[in-house]
Amino acid sequence: MNRTFKTDCIGYALFAILLLVVIPWAVSFDGFALNTYARYLALGMVAMALALSWGYAGILNLGQAVPFALGAYIMAMHLKLQASAHMPGGLPDFMGWTNVEALPWFWQPFHSLPVTLIAGIAVPVALAALLAVFMFRGRITGVFVAIITLAFLVAVQLVFIEEQRYTGGQNGLTGLAPLQLLGWRVDNYSTQFYYLVAVCLMTSLAIGLALVRSKVGLVLKAIREDASRVRFFGYDVARYETLAFCTSAAIAGWAGMLYVLVLEFASPTYMGVAFSLAIVIWCAVGGRESLVAAALGGIIVNLLEGRLSDMFVDGWTFFLGALFIVVVLVAPRGLFGLVQSAVRHAGKTIRSERGGARARWLATGMGARRIDNGGR
Amino acid sequence: MKRRDFLKGVAVAGAAGVVGFPGIWTQRKAAWAANGEIPVGILFSLTGAVAVVERTLHDAALMAIEEINDNGGIHGMRLRPYIEDPASDPATYADRARRLVLRDNCISVFGSYTSASRQAVLPVVEGRDNLYWYPTLYEGRECSRNVMYGGAVPNQQQQEFVPWLAENFGGRFYLIGNNYVYPREENNVCKMILNQIGGEAVHEEYVPMGHSDFSSVINRIRQANPDVIFCTLVGDSDVAFQRQFHAAGFDPEQLPVASLTRSEVEVKAMGGEAAAGHFSSAPYFMAHDSPENARFVEAYQRKYGSDQVTHFVSEAAYFQIYQFKAAVEQLAPSDITATNIRAAAVGQTFMAPQGEILIDENLHTHLWPKVAQWDRSGQAKVVLESQQRIAPEPYWAYEGQRCTGEGLVTS
Repeated sequence: MNRTFKTDCIGYALFAILLLVVIPWAVSFDGFALNTYARYLALGMVAMALALSWGYAGILNLGQAVPFALGAYIMAMHLKLQASAHMPGGLPDFMGWTNVEALPWFWQPFHSLPVTLIAGIAVPVALAALLAVFMFRGRITGVFVAIITLAFLVAVQLVFIEEQRYTGGQNGLTGLAPLQLLGWRVDNYSTQFYYLVAVCLMTSLAIGLALVRSKVGLVLKAIREDASRVRFFGYDVARYETLAFCTSAAIAGWAGMLYVLVLEFASPTYMGVAFSLAIVIWCAVGGRESLVAAALGGIIVNLLEGRLSDMFVDGWTFFLGALFIVVVLVAPRGLFGLVQSAVRHAGKTIRSERGGARARWLATGMGARRIDNGGR
Repeated sequence: MKRRDFLKGVAVAGAAGVVGFPGIWTQRKAAWAANGEIPVGILFSLTGAVAVVERTLHDAALMAIEEINDNGGIHGMRLRPYIEDPASDPATYADRARRLVLRDNCISVFGSYTSASRQAVLPVVEGRDNLYWYPTLYEGRECSRNVMYGGAVPNQQQQEFVPWLAENFGGRFYLIGNNYVYPREENNVCKMILNQIGGEAVHEEYVPMGHSDFSSVINRIRQANPDVIFCTLVGDSDVAFQRQFHAAGFDPEQLPVASLTRSEVEVKAMGGEAAAGHFSSAPYFMAHDSPENARFVEAYQRKYGSDQVTHFVSEAAYFQIYQFKAAVEQLAPSDITATNIRAAAVGQTFMAPQGEILIDENLHTHLWPKVAQWDRSGQAKVVLESQQRIAPEPYWAYEGQRCTGEGLVTS
């Protein structure tokens, strides 16, 4: 059991206590507040997913919002079909408006909840895998990955906006039914719902930690530092990068499904450039080298955004921007880096104090002995 | 060493902040009407893409609230506006609407410009049976019992406009709009009217939101040689199109642009020169001649600056506050709830700047459609005024569907 593993365990446990005990207790189980926090948790989850590929494998994915939004749309499609059951042909209202005659084939499977839940993760993963194969087999790295993923994001969003007949266009998918999960009608203001989201976040976090603490995680870190050297050691770099990229997409898709349950609609802004870059910011503020910190970053920034806009209706964006600049200047490794250096500093002080005491003891002891000697 | 000290300082300050300021974890709570105030939510974007327009709606709504409070409020109770900035982002609209309805206990929320943001707020107001006062013209085909629609629906914008255009300029229309639900729906209605009166849509095309290069569109217009450009472009696209159309040298007397979305705000951005001679259809124009409007424009410019313009959405943002007041006045203070306000609002009339308006049982508003021609000063001269108040029919183009006091009825 090495030290970083211990740090991870402590971080995870503290985070679990914060999510499962402190937050619900602090807001005294108020429905509105829990709903707000459930939203922050879903966003923290996608920030954590980005840390997995950016922090550990060095893949700066500016299109992290794509898997997130795909998960969101897939969940919304299921709920939209549930809400449209009474419509002629079970056709969602916006399809009727845009003169679609029958439910298109790619909507059909989403009548089924199990298919939806699987697809909400599988579809983002499949798309990520496709992109990853092209990128990583072609040994594309660094800023080019960022450019390609950003371009991919814009392209996907454009398709969703333009194909209004099938996606609801600019308005997205609205007028959704509540989710029926094993006979439980999910109420997004309930304590149970908050815990559903919190448990999903903790579970995905555990999966992510298991991955980065395994041998795979070690190889990923090595790739981040020097991909060529890892390649010379005989590792298939592209395969490891693809794995990190796809795991990240899976967690993002999962988070997207939860996000739709919180907000009750899916919108193409979920795959907007602004939103996708915001994920990078959350991740950077929390600290991309730690999954827990990244998740916390997502939660804290959104919490602050909410609070600041509450206190300063005019100019809250200004404060938020100033905060980001300060973080980048003072703590380029995010809050995690800040905490880490604080802990190290404290450790050093304790060690040097111990060292000083030992020196004093030696000095007095020696001196005493010398006097003693002299006395003889 | 210095950096370390700073880090230490930050850590200490942060810890002190979290301990000494537990408010960051919890949420503000407010009881309503206990202190003689009526809490209402104001939800217009002050930042982001649509802030330019929504800021004017925000201003107009607050001006009405201030006027009401200065004149003694409603039954002696003041309106207390809770202001939120949804930053032009639908998810943020949903979040802030939750705050207003659930946390601040607002009994009504006034807000938003785009259809996407209205749709984002709907689950919140419908889930809690609250009221959302939406001032913007929109595409119709919606019949929520929790939205008070203050803007025009397609029949109010088109049923007189399209035949008038066909009569004066000819029946060959070129339809252009941004690619989203509003232009598509308006064009559906336009094509239906053209069909009835023997006109035709020679071409129908949609460009992405924010699209700003119209050279190929202008080439296609030249080839199609239509009688009228029927335009449902919004915001930046509308401004860019009109400038380029003007620069291409078209004569408005031969080929006018007839817009459903162009107000004083867009014309201010594109310049009166480019817009001069073209037409818009709306229930309100800043240059409309009525004592109510003179008062409204005068008060608005005194408050926000003489370079500010009023337009058909800000007028609705303004009169909806008065509609709210008229409804609340019908109720005893202990009965002021969202559902009672809805019931009391139906049938209420108000002398708005555009004329006397009325709330229909389907919660849309009876309005006074007008057609106006823009001049070089950036103002519009009303050239055709409806003889009567036009009733809102959000499902006008769809036989067998009607929006009524019981919601949508399909026969």
